[in-house]
Amino acid sequence: MQIELKLYGSSKILSDQDSMNIELPNNSNIEKLREILSKIISEKNLKSNLENLTRTAAFFSEKDEIVNDNYKLKDKESISIIPPIGGG
Amino acid sequence: MSLHTALVKIEEEKITSEKAKKFIISMNNGAESIFIGKVRNKNSGKKVLAVTYDSHDQAVIKSFNLICNNAKNKFDKNAKIFLEHAKGYVPVGEISILIAVGSGHRDEAFKICRYILEEVKHQSPIWKKEHYADGKEEWLPGHSLRSKKEIK
Repeated sequence: MQIELKLYGSSKILSDQDSMNIELPNNSNIEKLREILSKIISEKNLKSNLENLTRTAAFFSEKDEIVNDNYKLKDKESISIIPPIGGG
Repeated sequence: MSLHTALVKIEEEKITSEKAKKFIISMNNGAESIFIGKVRNKNSGKKVLAVTYDSHDQAVIKSFNLICNNAKNKFDKNAKIFLEHAKGYVPVGEISILIAVGSGHRDEAFKICRYILEEVKHQSPIWKKEHYADGKEEWLPGHSLRSKKEIK
């Protein structure tokens, strides 16, 4: 299955687009998404820039609410990655 | 109307204290407190030219309204609150955040202003990328929305 990951903050280093499509095994959850993202970061040689991203980022559902690691992803679902924040 | 919150696209519009002062004015209030945050020209020994602010717009507005209503419930239900934050490329010296509070008394006005600023930094999904004089740029570290327990 495939999900759309909307990129914010430092995660924008992953792509020159505002979002990226990610292939995941069926019935994947957020924990699996973190694992796949770690692989993508390694493959793109972005470990030095995004070393802690997959541990520290939260994820928002389409309802703009934080979802936990057990949250089951659906095919074609849109998920936002929320790296550590710091406005002001 | 006692609450105004917005994300302001700086390429299209500016954040101004005049607008904020006009919004919070009331004959019921004996105190007005205004906090203005600006982009400064250095950070960690690097010369900064500008900061780009990125945001999850819908979640930011939701968080702004929640924070401001919590502040009113905590300190002064009748307070008038104006909160705007910049989005996009903001050069040094320009306003990044403006919080204006009109309240019955000075203590509540100061407290609400401070409370909102700290909560925005810890709750609102906004990110900063600094642009340096040497041509480099860097996303700044921040506060994780995951609990410490969850971060293994």
